Amino acid sequence: MIVEFHYHIPWRSLGHHPGHHPGTQSGGGFEFRGLLPFTSQPDPRHLDVRAMIADPTQALMVKSFRQRAAIPVYLLADLSASMGFAGKTALLAEFAAATAWSAWRTSDPFGFFACDSQIRWDLSLPLRLHKGMASELSAQIRAFTPKAKNALGLLEAATLLGRQRALVFMVSDFHFPLGQIEALFNALVRHDVVPVVLWDSGEYENLPRFGLVELQDPETGQRRRLFLRPSLLARIRQGFAERRAELTQICIRYGREPFFLLDRFDPDAMTRYFYS
Amino acid sequence: MSLAFAQPWALLLGLLAVIPLFKRGQPTLAYSSLARLPEDPLSLWIDWSLRVLASLGLLLLALGIAEPYLREQWVEKIGTGAHIVLVVDRSSSMNENFSGTYLGGTAHETKSVLAAKLLAEFVDRRGQDFFAVVAFSAAPIYVLPLTQDHEAVRSAVLALGGRGHGITNIAPGLAMALAHFSAQPVTGSRIVLLVSDGAARMEPETADALRQQFQDHQASLYWIYLRNPKGGKLAEAPKNPNESTTPEYYLHQYFQSLGVPYQAFEADNTLALQEAITKVETLENHPLKYRQKLPRQDMSGICYGAALVCLLALLAGQILEVNT
Repeated sequence: MIVEFHYHIPWRSLGHHPGHHPGTQSGGGFEFRGLLPFTSQPDPRHLDVRAMIADPTQALMVKSFRQRAAIPVYLLADLSASMGFAGKTALLAEFAAATAWSAWRTSDPFGFFACDSQIRWDLSLPLRLHKGMASELSAQIRAFTPKAKNALGLLEAATLLGRQRALVFMVSDFHFPLGQIEALFNALVRHDVVPVVLWDSGEYENLPRFGLVELQDPETGQRRRLFLRPSLLARIRQGFAERRAELTQICIRYGREPFFLLDRFDPDAMTRYFYS
Repeated sequence: MSLAFAQPWALLLGLLAVIPLFKRGQPTLAYSSLARLPEDPLSLWIDWSLRVLASLGLLLLALGIAEPYLREQWVEKIGTGAHIVLVVDRSSSMNENFSGTYLGGTAHETKSVLAAKLLAEFVDRRGQDFFAVVAFSAAPIYVLPLTQDHEAVRSAVLALGGRGHGITNIAPGLAMALAHFSAQPVTGSRIVLLVSDGAARMEPETADALRQQFQDHQASLYWIYLRNPKGGKLAEAPKNPNESTTPEYYLHQYFQSLGVPYQAFEADNTLALQEAITKVETLENHPLKYRQKLPRQDMSGICYGAALVCLLALLAGQILEVNT
């Protein structure tokens, strides 16, 4: 089932298309913008009698209102090899479907960029009013096996988002160097970026309790043998907690704190993220 | 210390030992990002020790297959012993006891059993000596070369206590005994200890050849004569000297003419035999320098043992592996 969440932006959109978000265009709406002489906006429905009485010149005055605007909603998805871990692509597909559906319900156009070392156009969607995300795309993402060595396609996609300020959901596990994260935020500085940190508890919580494991990094190809034991597991958990704090700090510096998508997607938590 | 290999080609198998250093056996688990995991010195240490152990195990196995051994070695030793050749009579008359009765089955009292027992004790007491054993009846029997393996000598001597056969023919036995000394440097006193209960006529040519050999090898001769109480003594000339009826007397005469130290002990009962042997023992105690050969030592067992230790450690690692 495709779920829906509600989002909200703390800035005014310069967009012309009517929508659900605060805009700058005057037009039909409920947000009082100011008084205008009747000649500049000859709409007798909006004549303001009190303002005309108060005006010493007795000129005809009309109220003007701000029109609510639509904003572009983008989802930049990291599909580098590290996202192939356990059920991460499935969770990504679920989240992407929910975002697309929510954008449609908010009557915002939605665009999807799947990025590994470059943009995967076969898995991407142009900015359109999609009624939900095409279900086959969701299935494709779910079935996709990420193999790329890095997520530099995200940087490339950041240049393709247009000049109009957009709401950008950036879904990644952020398992790349901090410098790269900062470069990405700098490339997206024009937009309102919601970092969505997608982790699987198998990465840090549900590891085997005891024994020797041989781990391989799908991106670098490195192998490492670990002797898992309670003390090491505690250190791994602590490492992820530190990473979480670090990511939060960086993301706040660039606008928003990150949303942590761990194991399952709760749309209400996403809504609370925007409204609290 | 010289090491050699019985199967040197197997050392080539040792080249396989590089494999575990670069190749890993455990199936890998994909993990999103190793950079997120903390450095763990213990894991690193375990990883490398497992690899090195696997490599070492292979090397040791290859080494074991190659069968290394230490070459045989000579060790110089100084003893106070002598080279003693025991020449023991196995003729049928040795089946009798001292009173001249044939005892047959109850062999423990026969002259041969007694002689064997006392000689075995003699051998036990002379820990530093080299012994060779020759048995003779009609023909000599080569039993043991000169050796310091007292266990073997003891067994050989005790085995002589069995039932004897045939006649007494001393000369070939003595010749074989003297042959033990040939091709050996003179490192100490050489003794031929003849134990017999009688004698036989000797051809003059044989007698001359034996005399020559005795002198060549500088061997001294002790004769323990197990005399029948009714028989004649060696020192007294018989009433009617005849080489076929009283050969012992003539043999004694001949031995005295050998030109080498010679002594005869007459024993006509158990006690006398024991005394005779004790006397021989006190006579010969010169220091002796000799070399002993140590057999080559197989070292492959050590290699296999060490490889087993490595493999057991690897097995422990395997047991610790997490099944996926």
